[in-house]
Amino acid sequence: MTDAARLQWAQAMVVTGIVLYVPANVLPVMTMTVVGTVEPLTVLGGVEELYDSGLWPMAAVVFLASIVVPFLKLASLSWILLMHGSPLAQRRRGTLRRVVHSIGSWSMVDVFLLAILAAVGQLGALAGVKAEPGGFFFAAVLVCSLLAAEFYKPRMIWQTNSEPTR
Amino acid sequence: MTTTDNRISAWLACPECEAPCLDRQLPKKAELRCTRCGVRVKIASGRHSLQPAWAFATAGLFVAILANVEPIMTFDVAGDTQSNHIVSGVIELARQGYGPVAALVCFAGVIAPVLHLTAIWYVASACCLRRRWPAVHRVAVLIEMLEPWNLVPVYAIATVVAVVKLDMMGTVDWKAGALWILVLSLCSLCAAEAFDRELVEERLEALK
Ligand SMILES: [Zn+2]
Repeated sequence: MTDAARLQWAQAMVVTGIVLYVPANVLPVMTMTVVGTVEPLTVLGGVEELYDSGLWPMAAVVFLASIVVPFLKLASLSWILLMHGSPLAQRRRGTLRRVVHSIGSWSMVDVFLLAILAAVGQLGALAGVKAEPGGFFFAAVLVCSLLAAEFYKPRMIWQTNSEPTR
Repeated sequence: MTTTDNRISAWLACPECEAPCLDRQLPKKAELRCTRCGVRVKIASGRHSLQPAWAFATAGLFVAILANVEPIMTFDVAGDTQSNHIVSGVIELARQGYGPVAALVCFAGVIAPVLHLTAIWYVASACCLRRRWPAVHRVAVLIEMLEPWNLVPVYAIATVVAVVKLDMMGTVDWKAGALWILVLSLCSLCAAEAFDRELVEERLEALK
């Protein structure tokens, strides 16, 4: 794969990720049925529920992992891709890329949480957990930003327009 | 496209930006940083053995079996009880029509961690026993690719959050599986930490 193709794939993945970020956060990720009441929960709704029950450290962890991290990841990748070929802030772009890479996997917390809740929440009308389309979009955002970072190799930050790309 | 051989006489290619960096002998604990991007190119870690990595990987593989076989928690609402495994979440998501999400959970929660530990075990064993096992170099590359996908520690956090949530709906009880998941994440982290890439390269070079 040429570097030009890598750049294009990375751009396509980031754009897709940004588009999917909207339904991932607007649509419910799951519906919880508790003793007859059906409650759809978005990612943010799940955080709120934790906060309301007084568990704010846990609410903070989930908020950071599933809302802030995916957003930061998409934003930083967009910036890095937009700056491609420029000789400015190359070192900073490299550092940012590494930071984003190391915190990126934490957003999987929400997907795992959905899997665990779906597995034990099969007690009929008393307590039921059903996955909803939001979960699909959320997982898609994760995969898109992961692939984007995979396509755009760190060495490509150091290519400038004056120097022909390999 | 990328140069497979990082050593061009006394020059090392920076793993991050591929700029050539002049290699030199380092005093203990010192490191060589890339002059262009600032990333560490080489470190004199002072480690002499890959046995800790081998031990953690072996332990991790055993614990991985337990973590997948033992139930993680039981959930009880008005006398109805349900317990779960990592894999039962995968099955349930697939059954509800979310196959791709199920596949992601299965890969990051079961397949990648086991492959990651197996790969570390394989390479570390080859180095410790000084055997020329097939495809060792390729497996070493695989370790690097799999490392960000070993998400058992993240799964452990998700388990805690899940218990807190379920506690609002009914009675939750920890089971042995939760403990094994915690031990497995510690083993994975320790094995990855003790797996010294430069030492591995040195050992593999000596086997040739
Ligand atoms: Zn460099």
